[in-house]
Amino acid sequence: MALEILEFEFKSAATQGINKEWSHFGVTGSGDLEVLMEKKDLGGAVKAKVVTPVKGFDAVWEKMLGKFVDDTGVGNVSIEINDDNATPIVVYVRLRQALAEATAKEVE
Amino acid sequence: MKSWAGLENSSFFDASARERALGMVDKGTFTELLNPLDRYCSPHLPVLGTAVEFDDGIVTGVGLLGKHPVFVVSMEGKFIGGAIGEVNGAKMVSTIRLALKAAKSIKEKHPNDYDDRRPLVAISFETGGVRLHEANAGLLAHAEVMDAFQDCRGTVPIVAVVGSKVGCFGGMGFVAAATDVIVMNEEGRIGLTGPEVIEQEMGKEEFDASDKALVYRTTGAKHKYIIQDCNYLVEDRVGDFHNVLAEVADMPMAEIEKMRRIGSLKLVQEQQELVKLVGDMQPKDSMDIWKHFGNKKPEALPEMSTAEFLKVVKRRKRP
Repeated sequence: MALEILEFEFKSAATQGINKEWSHFGVTGSGDLEVLMEKKDLGGAVKAKVVTPVKGFDAVWEKMLGKFVDDTGVGNVSIEINDDNATPIVVYVRLRQALAEATAKEVE
Repeated sequence: MKSWAGLENSSFFDASARERALGMVDKGTFTELLNPLDRYCSPHLPVLGTAVEFDDGIVTGVGLLGKHPVFVVSMEGKFIGGAIGEVNGAKMVSTIRLALKAAKSIKEKHPNDYDDRRPLVAISFETGGVRLHEANAGLLAHAEVMDAFQDCRGTVPIVAVVGSKVGCFGGMGFVAAATDVIVMNEEGRIGLTGPEVIEQEMGKEEFDASDKALVYRTTGAKHKYIIQDCNYLVEDRVGDFHNVLAEVADMPMAEIEKMRRIGSLKLVQEQQELVKLVGDMQPKDSMDIWKHFGNKKPEALPEMSTAEFLKVVKRRKRP
């Protein structure tokens, strides 16, 4: 019954940081998730923690998060996700949106 | 993140709880209290294997409308239907209590111009009521919110803002009714038992929840506006809600008190008149009531835009 807590760490080229100290994106709606990104000195790496009701998809999470890190070159970021049954492609899209939010300049 | 002008011009109905909280107060004045980084999640949901959210589905904070500090509560309907549990309930209660505390200190520091600096509580409802996973705590939160409203009576105006997808149902329907002022857009709905629940309990003949026109005629803002449950009907723009809140913040408390629906013997008698009218009339549809209050072509009202509707509508006369 309890929620699954998955933790990962990824090596990264760290060509991309985030501007804000922290940034939040999304809602834990049905089939959706929220992402909290925090700037952390991790020697370039990315740490990720996923809280989800879904069991048995550890490898898929690792692949999706790894792809996101590889594609964006993001580094020195801690990512926390609260998930409610999002599909892998939704996970990827939300991560890209969350990064866009975290790297956006303040708008007038 | 939307630009400020973009946010003010965007649909209130489509806005997330955080966007609504930002946009209801003056530009750049909103400070979130217990933001996602504080990670105040529900302690009950993980035990039940239900997904959690960092803000537990409620955005709370403080902003400004001119000189008035505004204490904001904004519910997120996408997270468990905006239902109220222990943590988000406590956040809601604490925000209202904080407004009262602010009022006391403003009264001490500015005894002569309290009205110009009087705090306001703005609650953007998007909820089905109690979160069943933590029902007792949720119910308690409802009671505590009502209690806090009473403490604010005559000192801090409470404004209900209803215009999001889930509407405002269940126990929170009572809570919205207990506020001083209700502001809605056309898409806003307030009720106690939700349409699906009525259908499930009483049958499709009693209430057909798939008939969206019927649902809106019964629980929607136009109906609420005609029978005077809703004080302001605005266009579906975040900025329009912002403007009405600013207007209410500047009003004398006595004017605000006049907008209440419940909370005195006189108001209870007024409500009883309405109950008696419905008993005598036995209306088959809300349109019968609209006709009674002087709308000659009630069937034309649901199709009208908000602006057209406001031009021609006849409302119940308040004593």
